This record gives sequence, C-alpha cells and structure tokens, in this order.
Amino acid sequence: MSLDELALQALNGLSFGALLFLLASGFTLVFGLMKIVNLAHGAFYLVGGYVGIATFTATRSFLAAILAGAATAAVFGLASERLLLRRVRGQELPEVLLTVGIALVIADGCLAVFGGNPRSLPIPGLLAGSVQLGGFAYPSYRLFVIVLAAVVGVVLYVVQHRTRVGALIRAGVDDREIAEAMGINVPRVFTAMFVFGGALAGLAGVVAAGLLTLRPGADTDILLFALVVVVIGGLGSLQGAAVGSVLIGLVDAFSKVWVPELSYFAVFAPMAIVLMFRPAGLFSRSRA
Amino acid sequence: MLPRFVVYLLTLTFIAALLAGSVNLLAGLAGLVSIGHAGIAAAGAYGVAWAAVHDVGLPAQLGVAAALTLAVSVVYALTTMRTTGIVFLMITLALGMTVFGLALKLSSVTGGQNGLTGIRRPEAVDEWWQFYFFTAALYGVCLLVLGVVARSPFGLTLRGVRESPSRMTSLGYSVTAAKFVAVVISGVFAGSAGVLLAWNSEFMSPSVASFSRSALAVVVVILGGIGTLLGPLVGAGIVVAGEYWLSSYVERWQTVLGAVFILVVLFAPRGVVGTIAAWTRRSRKEGS
Repeated sequence: MSLDELALQALNGLSFGALLFLLASGFTLVFGLMKIVNLAHGAFYLVGGYVGIATFTATRSFLAAILAGAATAAVFGLASERLLLRRVRGQELPEVLLTVGIALVIADGCLAVFGGNPRSLPIPGLLAGSVQLGGFAYPSYRLFVIVLAAVVGVVLYVVQHRTRVGALIRAGVDDREIAEAMGINVPRVFTAMFVFGGALAGLAGVVAAGLLTLRPGADTDILLFALVVVVIGGLGSLQGAAVGSVLIGLVDAFSKVWVPELSYFAVFAPMAIVLMFRPAGLFSRSRA
Repeated sequence: MLPRFVVYLLTLTFIAALLAGSVNLLAGLAGLVSIGHAGIAAAGAYGVAWAAVHDVGLPAQLGVAAALTLAVSVVYALTTMRTTGIVFLMITLALGMTVFGLALKLSSVTGGQNGLTGIRRPEAVDEWWQFYFFTAALYGVCLLVLGVVARSPFGLTLRGVRESPSRMTSLGYSVTAAKFVAVVISGVFAGSAGVLLAWNSEFMSPSVASFSRSALAVVVVILGGIGTLLGPLVGAGIVVAGEYWLSSYVERWQTVLGAVFILVVLFAPRGVVGTIAAWTRRSRKEGS
C-alpha cells in the first residue's frame, strides 16, 4: 500500500468516523444526562435522512434539507419523551424497551412513506466536486463532513463546559436531586436534551444520505456503530465519543480494504478488548 | 385433524417460544435482558446448515452446531459476565449485530446474502407433521428443563444476583461465574431453537441473526410475561398468530406490533401470563 492509498483510506475512515461522531454524540449526551439507552436513535437518523432527501428534492437547498431533517427527528424525539418515556422515568428496562417499540414503529413508517428502495442525497453544487490532495483527488463532500463534525464537536464541548446551559446539564448529570432543590426544572432539561439528541441524529441522517445510502435496515446498521463507539468511549462521555468515532471509522475503512470478509467483525474487536480491560469505557466518569 | 397451515404456524410458535424462553431464562431470573440472542440461534442454525451443505451425517451436523453454539455463547458470556442492566443489553445487541455482519460478509462460509441451500431435515422427522411433533416434543422437554433450572439452587442464585449482587458476593457466591454459566445455559436453548429454525425452512440466510429477530424474542417475552414459565409460549403464540392472520388485514403489521409492545410496557409490564396470574391471586384472596 502506497502512501497515497494509505492517506486515502485514512480520510475515508475519518469521514465515516465524523459521521459516527454526529450520531454518537447525541446518543451519549442523552445517556449521560438521562441514563436512557435510546435504541430509537437509529430510527431518528433514518427518518431525518429521508425527510432531508425529500426536502432537498423539493427545494434544492442543502441547508433546508439539514434543517428539515433535524427538525423532524427532533419532533419525534419530543413526542417520544413527552408522551411515552416520561411515564416510566427512572426505570431502566421499561425505558429502553419503549425505545425499541418506538424504533419498530418509526422504521415501519419510513418503509410505508419512503418505500424500500435505497435512496441517497444528490450532493449539492459547491460540495459536489473533489479536491486535489497530493497524488489523488478527494471528494469535497467527505472533507466537508469531517469539518462539520469537528465544528459540532467543539461547539458541544464549549456549550457543555463554558455556558449556563451546560452548567445546568452538568448539574443534572452530577446530582439530580440537588439540582432540583436548587430550583432547576430538571424534567424540562431532560426533554430539551432528548429533543436535541434527536436533532443531532436527524442531522447525521441528512449528512449520511450524501455519504451512504438510506434503506430499510440502515437504522439498525448504523445504530450498531454508534453503540460500539459509545461503549468504547464510555457511556455519557463526549470526548469518549470523539475518540471512539475516529477509532471505529479508521478500523472500518482499513478492514474493508485488508480483510473485506471480516469488515463487520473487525469493528467488534476493539469493543471486546476495551470491555475486557475497562468495562466502563475509556473516558467514563462513572463507576463500572 | 388440523389443517397443514395451522400445524405450520404451531411449529413456528414452538420455535419462537424456545428462543424467547432462552431470553426469559436470563431476563426473568437474573434480570439480564439480551437483545442479541438471535446471534446465538444463528450459530446453531448456521452450524447445522453448513455441515449439511458439506454432506456430513446427522451426528456430525449436530456436533458442528453444538460446538459453534457453545463457542458463540462463551463469547457472549465472557464479554457480558461483568455487566448488568443497560450495559448487558447494549453488548448483547452489538454481539448480535456482529454475528449478523459475519453471516452477511463471510460469504465463503455462510453464502452471504444468498444464504445456504440444500439443508435436509433428518429422515425420521422429514414429513411436516413429523417435524411438528418433534418440535413440540423438544419444546416440552426444554420447558421442563427451564422449569427445573428456575427452581434449582442455581436459579435461586441467579435471583440473588438480580436482587443484590453485593450480598451474594459477601455470602461467598461468585456473581461473575453465575452470570457466565447462566448465559451459556441460555445459549444452549437459543442454539437448539436455531437448529429447529434451519430444519424448518431448510434454508439459511443472514436474516436469522438480524436485529429484528433478537428484538422480537424480547417482545415475545415481555408480551407473554417476563419471568413466567409459560409467558414465552403465550407471547410467541400471539406474535405468530398476529403476524400471519393480522397481516392479511392490516398492511403495517410491524407498526401494530410496535404499538402493542409500547402499550404492554406502559400498562401491563407483567405481560399476559403475569397479569392473569396477578388477577387470579387477587380474586382468590378476595374469595377467602
């Protein structure tokens, strides 16, 4: 493998990792605050992506597609949290089972509305070309995804650590009861976080539509990657999600080239290794 | 005499109930909910299918299936034995998806998307009605064993592990070892269900390991009644009957299933069998 090929695969891995980060960050933030493993996160991603494609077809605007996709997924998040999850707050198992039910319904709804054929987003004007990097040309869209994920990551980190909203959330994570006693409306913070997590999943869905294809079953495929990322990084940790995403993105890209028959399996190996030595993940603040 | 179609549905019900029973063994006794048991079933199924395609005799087919089931169960057990609750659920989910990925990608062994054909039932149970009686009998035996395990000292140990791991540890039990053994025992039942599945359809494709099959097993357990001996059978009956009869009237069977599941989790968390048992207990108390 020449240096150019190596760089090419590394960029492929980074751009897929960037997509995984967009997805996993919402998943891990929701878990960090609410202790809910949202197995409907992949379904939010799918519905956001489909709506994004439909919006782009209608308006030819990528920005509109992103906003519509994120907003749709956010609305599903809002409905799930307000109507269903709130009723079983704090009960681990019913919460996660409800998200399984929600995922079944949304995925079937997507099949009914958008059909079973694979769909993807025609890459919009400015991002459609490629950039000459050393000895090879690389698609601009993939570079855009990397930049977008980096920006989102930095914004999330700054909001979490430097702003009042972030302080509210960290207070809710650290000690819910004290936060409530201090006058913070914790249920409202929870709802807002769940809606925001949904919006991130929707955003990831629209971005993914230009990178991969969306079809029935894509929701559970990508959910596996998100799970592996957060298990490696540590549930609830934003930095962990970033490191895990890059790691899994790279493992995925190189295993597809070197051991194509084991490509799915290769993603699982880092998770098993991490679990054996650090069951709570690399960056977890909580005890295992 | 029952029509052939009904007999076929009953056969499917017993197989689904066996897989759900293996999930219920862990969920009901130890409080460990697996959303990846289709992966273990797939090990049994692919084991017998692969051996059958390579023209070896019945004992060798069963040997391969048993070895593969045991190997996969041990991997499940090793990676999950130090976890509980949500983390257990996530890891089993990821493991199930990994098996699915292997079934799909390792096409030199599994036939990939095209699957494996040329599987034959053993001659003694080749006819559809013979296979029905065989499945029913095997399920009966498994039900008996599951009941014995639940009442055995080991079953009590698992209940103890669920209620208070720290107390069990201080009493001298190894919580980790108990979970390891429980996952492997459960895996044996799941693998048996997989073998029946392969013989029933005489065809093997990656969908046997899919997320939806794993999720369905959990849905069956919750519908029927978690921790009850007959719950998986009742749940499987409802799901199989629903899938084949309701789907001829309602196009969106999966939406109905998801909605029913959500309602059960919210309003009847003990499931059909658990709720009926609670009623009879209450009426008996009022009567006396």
